[in-house]
Amino acid sequence: MAKENINQHHNEDYEYDTLTNDKLIKDHDYDGIRELDNDLPPWWKWLFYITIIFSIVYCIRLFVFHSDDLVQDREYEKAMVEAEMNKPVQSEAIEFKLVLLEDETSIASGKETWDKICAVCHLVDGGGLVGPNMTDNYWIHGNTVEDMFNIITTGVIEKGMIPYKDQLSEQKRLEVISFILVKLQGTSPATPKAPEGTEY
Amino acid sequence: MQLEKFTYDNRLTKMFLFATVLWGVVGMLVGLTAAFELIFPNMSGGISWLSFGRLRPLHTNAAIFAFVGNGIFLAVYYSTPRLLKTPMFSKALGNIHFWGWQLIILLAAITFPLGLTQSKEYAELIWPIDVLVVIIWVVFGLNLIMTLVKRRTKHIYVAIWFYIATWVTIAVLYIVNNLQIPTSFLHSYPIYAGVQDALVQWWYGHNAVAFFLTTPILGIMYYFIPKASNRPIYSYKLSIIHFWSLIFLYIWAGPHHLLYSALPDWVQALGVVFSIMLIAPSWGGMINGLLTLRGAWDKVREDPVLKMFVVGVTAYGMATFEGPMLALKTVNALSHFTDWTIAHVHIGTLGWNAMLNFGMIYWLVPRLFKTKLWSVKLANTHFWIATLGMLFFSIPLYFAGFTQALMWKQFTEEGYLAYPNFLETVTQILPMYYLRAFGGSLYFIGAILFVVNVWKTAKSGSFVRYEEDQAPAKPAPKAGEGWHRKLEGRPLQFTVVALVVILIGGLIEIVPMYLVKSNVPTISSVQPYTPLELEGRDIYVREGCYLCHSQMIRPFRDEVERYGDYTKAGETVYDHPSQYGSKRTGPDLAREGVKTLPNYKPDSWHYNHMIDPQKLNAESIMPPYPWLANRDLDVSTLESKISVLEGLGVPYDDYLKGQDPTEHLNIQAAKIAEGLRAGGIQVDDNKEIIAIIAYLQRLGNDIYNE
Repeated sequence: MAKENINQHHNEDYEYDTLTNDKLIKDHDYDGIRELDNDLPPWWKWLFYITIIFSIVYCIRLFVFHSDDLVQDREYEKAMVEAEMNKPVQSEAIEFKLVLLEDETSIASGKETWDKICAVCHLVDGGGLVGPNMTDNYWIHGNTVEDMFNIITTGVIEKGMIPYKDQLSEQKRLEVISFILVKLQGTSPATPKAPEGTEY
Repeated sequence: MQLEKFTYDNRLTKMFLFATVLWGVVGMLVGLTAAFELIFPNMSGGISWLSFGRLRPLHTNAAIFAFVGNGIFLAVYYSTPRLLKTPMFSKALGNIHFWGWQLIILLAAITFPLGLTQSKEYAELIWPIDVLVVIIWVVFGLNLIMTLVKRRTKHIYVAIWFYIATWVTIAVLYIVNNLQIPTSFLHSYPIYAGVQDALVQWWYGHNAVAFFLTTPILGIMYYFIPKASNRPIYSYKLSIIHFWSLIFLYIWAGPHHLLYSALPDWVQALGVVFSIMLIAPSWGGMINGLLTLRGAWDKVREDPVLKMFVVGVTAYGMATFEGPMLALKTVNALSHFTDWTIAHVHIGTLGWNAMLNFGMIYWLVPRLFKTKLWSVKLANTHFWIATLGMLFFSIPLYFAGFTQALMWKQFTEEGYLAYPNFLETVTQILPMYYLRAFGGSLYFIGAILFVVNVWKTAKSGSFVRYEEDQAPAKPAPKAGEGWHRKLEGRPLQFTVVALVVILIGGLIEIVPMYLVKSNVPTISSVQPYTPLELEGRDIYVREGCYLCHSQMIRPFRDEVERYGDYTKAGETVYDHPSQYGSKRTGPDLAREGVKTLPNYKPDSWHYNHMIDPQKLNAESIMPPYPWLANRDLDVSTLESKISVLEGLGVPYDDYLKGQDPTEHLNIQAAKIAEGLRAGGIQVDDNKEIIAIIAYLQRLGNDIYNE
């Protein structure tokens, strides 16, 4: 009902709110609280309808069409296939060589990996805690770049050293080895762990 | 018309009011302490009962059941008699209700710091206290329903509809989620396990939000906004539609807490769509609250009570839009397990729940004490500090959640995780934790101003214990009423209809999880925990490890890369209760024990890390657990635990093959301790830390043994 007609259509079921001219419902009075007879706002009704339509479509897509983005296992498989396809092809031009790196950038990058990952067991200063001391001259599995690369790549599970082949690229593994050999070896850590392995 | 005279007794209203104020401050203070512990992990000083894992349940339970809970009862005991034109049915029941509830809170405040918990979020209370809660809840319901029966008004107002829905639904939720078998006076195992337990838990957890933090607060809104503004409710029709749609739809939405988990797709989908359909019913409440203030906006500018109501209802609107968005799988893939969720719930609690409590109390105290509010200016200051505090709390956490989720998911060009060390992603967002603690401090300062104002106001007046009122006796039913109007005149039928409406969703989601075997596919290699691992698991529960570490790897490339194969439903069939968790402040532990995975750590690492986490990770925010290395493992209830689990379907008889559980435990413990001693660690076989290491090293292994 348009507002200007309100006064001509006075109906005995209704009184009117003086501030908004909206209809008050007559016998609705609870401890002085009155209620207006306003309709549901149309935009609100539409919002409700749209969410219901969304839900029906969603269920049909899942239960009838088994859409890839709603079936959890398929969504996962798809993501994994995509990742596999996007894997960079190992460029043959820059062949990876297992030789000690001594340039500052590589050493700095190696230190970053050391601090983030290796230090958890070997401590930041290399003194060792759960893992062996990396500053002394004693080695359990050899001290050549190749020996160390193998250990980092495949791990020594029974001692708690996990393989890092899935976490660190070959380059990163080599950098951290270089950091150990160039920077950590021969330093004096705060709390050195007793030597383990054989002296080289 | 003959008017009958009667008297309202304000005594219980006053008692609930002071309890609300007191527990509000306590709950916030514990929360603030927990927030600081996340920045200063050594703050607890190695004292077990001050550690984050034990304080966090205390914070959530105090905020929900003590602060908001007492506020709800305050509103019910004040508004119900006035809306029904009759005093509350029984003063004795009212007293039992009040003192019983405060006793429950006190017991919670003692048991949580002691580590006595079920580990179900917001249902952590141990079984004897659960029984007490149920008794007191029944006392409350009896008092409410008998008042309805004795009413003088023909119809019941919308606020009362919401009180009724609250009472019946919380009763159902609480009882079903807390079904458990005691192993001793202080410990029990839930009858549900793994993914089924997680479903029941989040059906409860989500609806604790719905029926403890929403419906009763809407009741408060429907009574106190029109009272404080002296304006009529915007739309009666909207009240009807949004009430029924809200209570019907809400109960289905729980599974959105388990998106991308091992819960079957169909249950997850119901969680998604019912959350989306909740937007309009929730906003119906917001609209009815805000539009009631049409014609009174000039008052809103001056009156701190109305200001708080407006911000509170607006926060409700924001949270109930955000919630459904977080229930969309694409958004949830980012938000879940991060601080985003923490920000979201605090918009609801600091904004909606607390603001309505504050506004209601600022309005009520002068009326109960027949005086004026001591300082309107101070109340306005409280309003601004609280609003700012809420923003400082939540905005940094939104940023933190988003940042961390993107870091977790990022890969380098070569296909490696960009941040393989979880800790890096924590260090990155730590400044946001500082800001959150600052926001929380602001909010707390506001609460102190509130206490001062309430206290001074009460002291400046004198308590009005009895208020006279009069009304005609209940009129006979009128012919020609619509069906809903008829229902409003029959509160008992109303209660039954509400019960039926809220049962539908829960039944459809939960029952098939038990009856249809394909929902939890069996994995033959999954075995029960050994006795030592079981004791270790109970320590894991006791310390609240699940509050910071999930055990639920989602089927995402980054999570499988970081943590190992995603979690299967069949893996957790012996997990009473489920330890899926809901937040990753630290890394997921579902496959912590699998030696071939990136997260594996040797026993000695765990030992050192429990005692002094920062020794191994200088930037770690994990608190120390030195007491685990000092305390002897208590195996006095081991046999009882094993027999309860056997009764619940965990095949211990087959597994132990007649071996004495304690003997089995001792052998395994000796082996682990020996290994530690060989590595130079001085530890006895019978320490608690041995059990928790055994448990951690077992995690996630079974499916690799096929």
